[in-house]
Amino acid sequence: MVQLVGSLRKELADSLSTCKVLVVGAGGIGCELLKNLVLTGFKNIEVIDLDTIDVSNLNRQFLFQKKHVGKSKAQVAKESALEFCPTANITAYHDSIMNPDYNVEFFRKFVLVMNALDNRAARNHVNRMCLAADIPLIESGTAGYLGQVTVIKKGMTECYECQPKPSQKTFPGCTIRNTPSEPIHCIVWSKYLFNQLFGEEDADQEVSPDTADPEAEWNPEETAARATASEKDGDIKRVSTKDWARSTGYDSIKLFNKLFKDDIMYLLTMDKLWKKRKAPIPLDWQQLENSSCPQEDSTGSGLKDQQVLGVWGQCQLFQHSVETLRSQLQEKGEGAQLVWDKDDAPAMDFVTAAANLRMYIFSMNMKSRFDVKSMAGNIIPAIATTNAVIAGLIVLEGLKILSGQMESCCTIFLNKCPNLRKKLLIPCVLDPPSANCYVCASKPEVTVKLNIHKTTVLSLQDRILKERFGMVAPDVQIEDGKGTILISSEEGETEANNSKFLSDFGIRNCSRLQADDFLQDYTLLVNVLHTEELERDVEFEVVGEAPDKAPPPQANPDEVNSITNGNKESAQPSTSSKAKEDDLMVVDSDDEGASSSSAAATGATKRKHSDAETAETSIKRLRKDQSATPTDDDDDEDDIIELD
Amino acid sequence: MIEKEDPVISEEEAAQYDRQIRLWGLDAQKRLRGSRVLLAGSGGLGAEVAKNLILAGVKGLTLLDHEQVSEESCRAQFLVPVTAQGQNRAQASLERAQNLNPMVEVHADSDRIEDKPDDFFLQFDAVCLTGCSRDLMVRVDQLCSQHNIKVFCGDVYGYYGYMFCNLGQEHSYVEEKPKLVKPSENSNDGPEPKKAKVDPNETVMVKKMASFCSLKEALEVDWTGEKAKACLKRTPVDYFLLHVMLKFRTDKGRDPGPLSFAEDSHLLKQIRDDVLGAMGVSSDLLSDCFVSHCFSEMSPVCAVVGGVLGQEIVKALSQRDTPHRNFFFFDGRKGNGVVDYFGSK
Repeated sequence: MVQLVGSLRKELADSLSTCKVLVVGAGGIGCELLKNLVLTGFKNIEVIDLDTIDVSNLNRQFLFQKKHVGKSKAQVAKESALEFCPTANITAYHDSIMNPDYNVEFFRKFVLVMNALDNRAARNHVNRMCLAADIPLIESGTAGYLGQVTVIKKGMTECYECQPKPSQKTFPGCTIRNTPSEPIHCIVWSKYLFNQLFGEEDADQEVSPDTADPEAEWNPEETAARATASEKDGDIKRVSTKDWARSTGYDSIKLFNKLFKDDIMYLLTMDKLWKKRKAPIPLDWQQLENSSCPQEDSTGSGLKDQQVLGVWGQCQLFQHSVETLRSQLQEKGEGAQLVWDKDDAPAMDFVTAAANLRMYIFSMNMKSRFDVKSMAGNIIPAIATTNAVIAGLIVLEGLKILSGQMESCCTIFLNKCPNLRKKLLIPCVLDPPSANCYVCASKPEVTVKLNIHKTTVLSLQDRILKERFGMVAPDVQIEDGKGTILISSEEGETEANNSKFLSDFGIRNCSRLQADDFLQDYTLLVNVLHTEELERDVEFEVVGEAPDKAPPPQANPDEVNSITNGNKESAQPSTSSKAKEDDLMVVDSDDEGASSSSAAATGATKRKHSDAETAETSIKRLRKDQSATPTDDDDDEDDIIELD
Repeated sequence: MIEKEDPVISEEEAAQYDRQIRLWGLDAQKRLRGSRVLLAGSGGLGAEVAKNLILAGVKGLTLLDHEQVSEESCRAQFLVPVTAQGQNRAQASLERAQNLNPMVEVHADSDRIEDKPDDFFLQFDAVCLTGCSRDLMVRVDQLCSQHNIKVFCGDVYGYYGYMFCNLGQEHSYVEEKPKLVKPSENSNDGPEPKKAKVDPNETVMVKKMASFCSLKEALEVDWTGEKAKACLKRTPVDYFLLHVMLKFRTDKGRDPGPLSFAEDSHLLKQIRDDVLGAMGVSSDLLSDCFVSHCFSEMSPVCAVVGGVLGQEIVKALSQRDTPHRNFFFFDGRKGNGVVDYFGSK
């Protein structure tokens, strides 16, 4: 005789009350998920999130109120969820899931892990931990009106990393430095400028004219000579931007005239660039000041952020923000650095003003602070209803797993509009694991093309193993018969190797490296293919994939999947890094771009890389998808098998 | 709908609603900010819809429910405190509902909806009915559509749930489309000539119109004609399940209860045979297994249906984006969510 507790059979209801589950993330999806779990009858729940509550969370993260702003998301979510069911046993961790404390043993405590994350780095990591612990994982993501839920089980289904995700869009250095053609180029430039002036200087974030622009070729002999002289990186060798700015005492008018007049006049001398393009128009502070009207026009509604300032308004915003940032820097003391944060008003003002001035110079329509913030902060719009739907679907998949019906689990897409088959929620069969997945295959292996004379050990560690292959603390040995240790995860042991090149250790074409991550219980064999023919700005290529720097083709049939599963790809820096990133890997479960509040929570001091590039891709992809007609939807599902 | 003065969005609201204004725009947020909604039924689905509307930032929301809090009726109801057994469901939900967003005027009304005079409904821009009888829904739908009030109905039965909407014969709305750029024309956003016909950086708002039928028409589709029979294959079976559940509610004055499972499941099969028979379709359409999965309101199903329903109310009030016409059905066992139109075209 069937016995029901609510809607559930008694046996299932009983098992819910005794099993233990993990929720990774207490943001948009996490809040909804905790509510659904306790109301469905789950009694033992652990939740982890390193983020704190921000006012912009309150439109959807309904377990939080204004009085909670600044507090731990995990802790407040636990307290609010307990009010729905005081007999539940909820443990909250205000921490990063990538902290080594949460090892395979920790994961084995649970019958089920549910991700409610917003960044790829943490998703990759939890994927590996669940594979290592052999615990089923429910993965989810939302972006605006779109969402997806899927189930990952070792040996049965694809893992999170079986399908290569499109890499984030980056822009060639010369587009940023010499020939911006879209507002995003100017926004990326101004974020680089912020770091050059106030933050950590990075050779990959140069803002001055690039004289080695292959397209310029305005004086071939001279260019060649200059390129050799400057180590082929094309920078005009002079004191660094920061040293120069400092020498002027951060004089905003001097800065203005250098950036928006002198550098632009220099660009104009590279006349080949302007044969087919509209040439930029230098600005002069004095001239603008003299011709400005006191009541300058601005457009937009009453809200300050929605207004588009006139050019003199931008000048004043530039001046004002430079002055504020200068005093912030001074207060921090000698050698201090500022970290760019979209929610820090002067930092955001600075980027708004600098980007708009550059847009004006390059004849683009200027943008409101609101719009610049979207792009510069990589903000993915987020609403309560999408998160509610996705969190509901997560629990329904979880119930199938707990009632032993793993085979009926599926991946479900939430669309904005119904598809041709009238479906708004589209369940699809789960694919089996990919045989050559570099994570869940029995002996994971990859082939990487790089230049052994130019790739440093640090670059191998940070750019290739950590960023590209998602390791947290790799140990690397060379399969040279001697087992030479190239990288050790023990602090200090192999630091001396960092600046050396791979060739210095006898690594040649076809050398094999064994990379281990102890925490993730993961070993990856890396085949090295030496090449001298990588494109400019490209450090390495993974064989069988598009070059690391190239943006994915827009018509990728896997698009729905990639948007919703990786709505914040910004956890990985976009340009090459010479800094240690290990304490920067952030699990923040807000559905938006990396916030520095989360960086602060880990004690991380820097988040140096622009994530604006990702903003561009996400926004474009979102737009395309949101406006997708049912016909487009059908295209998207070409390789997806719909159930029913 | 009566055109209202543009309510002003304050800096405080702009900060709190930032992530959704970035999705649907300031104009949509303003319209939402000027709208009053009646939400009948404070069960699990009602709580989800209330949460979604209050978070989105409507002007006012009235919770109307005469029932008392009981364990069964509040299993999926997170607005009611556990200590509120025996209190009125709407009243008991008020405090938590209000805490979700102090900028929304939330009211509780413990009257029976059947006792409300016609005038009562006319103060709202949208009315959402959950847990109501078929006759009442038909009455309110007819009344509201005469006065240009948007009507929504919805319920959750175990793993199943549905939503219906009637936005009137002429619902106008806007939709954001990518801006088309004439190939000859240079874009303003850059000095380089663009080859693409779609400008990825610019969008335009397109005005559109959608037409809806009454709930009565939508429920009284004639399935006896040849054409209708041909459509049957492509019709979600959930539509017939809804008829069965509404009939059970009419007959028993309640929904199937887990404590009377044996009795109610027997009755459900009988009603299934009667209802489908009366509609002229085979009762095989709806196999027996629905019976053991349609009891009580299931929290995750309320979340899914309440999410879709809440978003449809937001879309209708903000007159932004194409509404789903005119039913949404969700089957939580399959994870399937279908939008389909029933009634006169």
